[in-house]
Amino acid sequence: MLVEFEQIQKAQAGDDAAFNQVVGAYRKRILGTIARLIGRPEDVEDVGQEVFLRLYYSLDQLRTPEVFEPWLYRLTVNASYDYLRKQRRRNESRMSDLSEQQVMMADAAAGGKVSSEDQRQKQVKELVDSLLGSVSEQDRILLTLKEVEGLSLKELEKIYSVNENALKVRLFRARQRVLNAFEATKGGAKPGGRKEKKYGAMG
Amino acid sequence: MERWDSEKELDALFANYKAAVPDPDASVNFMPELWGKIEARRSITLHVRKLTQVFVGAAAALCLLFAMFEVVPSLTRPELHGTYVDVLAAAHPADNLTALGIVPHDPTDPNTK
Repeated sequence: MLVEFEQIQKAQAGDDAAFNQVVGAYRKRILGTIARLIGRPEDVEDVGQEVFLRLYYSLDQLRTPEVFEPWLYRLTVNASYDYLRKQRRRNESRMSDLSEQQVMMADAAAGGKVSSEDQRQKQVKELVDSLLGSVSEQDRILLTLKEVEGLSLKELEKIYSVNENALKVRLFRARQRVLNAFEATKGGAKPGGRKEKKYGAMG
Repeated sequence: MERWDSEKELDALFANYKAAVPDPDASVNFMPELWGKIEARRSITLHVRKLTQVFVGAAAALCLLFAMFEVVPSLTRPELHGTYVDVLAAAHPADNLTALGIVPHDPTDPNTK
């Protein structure tokens, strides 16, 4: 826990300063998770604010301190999923829609300012984003939480309220699909071009 | 074997992805905007609560009104004296009942002629 449970209790009781402290403690971590879940840096703050907004209005439902972090992660997952679902509806790729980071990269590349490390990281980001684009939004989030954020199956179990075996099966299938897309990429095909059947809702 | 290599490469990619997308710092507007959104939702909630109270109040007033309409006419209705049979007999004179064939004609009774 990054904050004492007393702080959370004070926030539950309507203490705005305590709520600010809770947000301050978890903000960076949650924004980082969101950044990797949604893959669009310019919208990270909006989704982050949505997470903490939902936290503010549901704090009174929290009963035990042990579940605070999984619960906050669940809010993060839900807000990210809602965002990704809205994005899928738009699903346009125009120059004006390029993320700030991409535009900055493009500008810097044009000016020759990008270091080789930045270039490599940019390539990694683009490749992983495109590979994760070959699975459903839910699988993308689940896989990112496990493989990138490093959450354990126990932690995922608490977040999703689903038993471990169901999670293992789902993770395995999602990973296999990403792996297929990765091998297709290595073979020269575009990862998005070889979509397999996507899975529906969890459980 | 090739699949195994791909598995390892994918693991490495995922590990590097976290470094490629570091935790961003929030802008200075993060908290003010968050509180702005909290206040906006709070005012919507208050507005909905007020509307609900008005609706419930109006519904209660209507119920009271309908209840009064139900009760007041029964108070103004004339009070009946006597038993149920007396009231029934008064409402249905014997000649009417004879005419309808409910009561047989009695030649000795001057009322049933």
